Amino acid sequence: MNSAPNLSRWGNRLLAALPRETLAMLERDLTQVSLSQGVVCFDVGDPIDRVYFPSTGMISLLVATKNGDVVEAGAIGRGGAAGLQSALGERRSYTRATIQIPGIFTTISAVDFRRAASNNGPIRDLASRYTEVLWAETQQTAACNAIHDGSQRLCRWLLQSADCIGSDHLPLTQEYLADMLGLRRTTVTLLAQELQERGAIRYSRGKIMILDRKALEACACECYEATKDENLSLKTGVTLIKDSTLVARPGLTGATDADVLFSFARQ
Amino acid sequence: MPMYYFHLRDNKTLSDVDGTEFVDASEARSHAIGVARELIFNRNGMLDRDWSRWRMSVNDEDENEVFSFRMVDFAADSSVK
Repeated sequence: MNSAPNLSRWGNRLLAALPRETLAMLERDLTQVSLSQGVVCFDVGDPIDRVYFPSTGMISLLVATKNGDVVEAGAIGRGGAAGLQSALGERRSYTRATIQIPGIFTTISAVDFRRAASNNGPIRDLASRYTEVLWAETQQTAACNAIHDGSQRLCRWLLQSADCIGSDHLPLTQEYLADMLGLRRTTVTLLAQELQERGAIRYSRGKIMILDRKALEACACECYEATKDENLSLKTGVTLIKDSTLVARPGLTGATDADVLFSFARQ
Repeated sequence: MPMYYFHLRDNKTLSDVDGTEFVDASEARSHAIGVARELIFNRNGMLDRDWSRWRMSVNDEDENEVFSFRMVDFAADSSVK
């Protein structure tokens, strides 16, 4: 647990989880950029030419239909990375990865990342395990979109996004939220009014502030906890899906400190 | 195009503060029904009051009601638990 300063340096838990010497090797090629909302990291079918480790912002993996509708299939914050699979070989993107919440992103070119990964167990291990986690999260999202009501999904989304960026101030318009949740904007406005009435959030055009996490957690569906715990499964490297549900592992719930997340790579 | 506002009313009002533009009231009605169905999906009500209490009130820019309907009218044909 001696690499905690790495989290403060790059602000990303995956990078913080790498052994010191591996990170030191990567750092030669890492750069930090500020990216604004709507920037497309890679579109469907594009070669993945760069890896993005969010430090303060969030990336959405979007599925777009031919008539222009989009819905979110996954979200990546400081506990993840977009394009990490390029460590394992040249890859193309299955989804549109776009900046959802602007901020600072630590990036490396896919070529440099692959070169670093070629003889490095921890990077390759991280890439393959994190790919499994993303896969599990998107399965949970698919089930959630089909089963849970709009309010539950909105609450889950707000909590997950706040966790992703480490802030309760979310710079998001109703329009964007509606797209992410596959709901009409009016529906999201009314659901947000309800949450505001309950004192859980405060929102104005383009900004949402979480006032009462407990109230939001009470309204959110089980998928919030399930995907949160999912991150922890990386630590033990045990099977991600148990009885086709993603359940918390006894003894690990509540262990959300950045230092324990992904610490397998240092062991 | 005129703006329409889709409020939910019980003894309280949940206001559609943003509003949406539509060509005419007929398009606004289709939208209102779509919103009602999304709200009702797998839910019994809002703010702990069931749908029988709530009404969707669609207003114009001057806050005059253009039309309204009872939410419960759309609860029957969706998968309400």
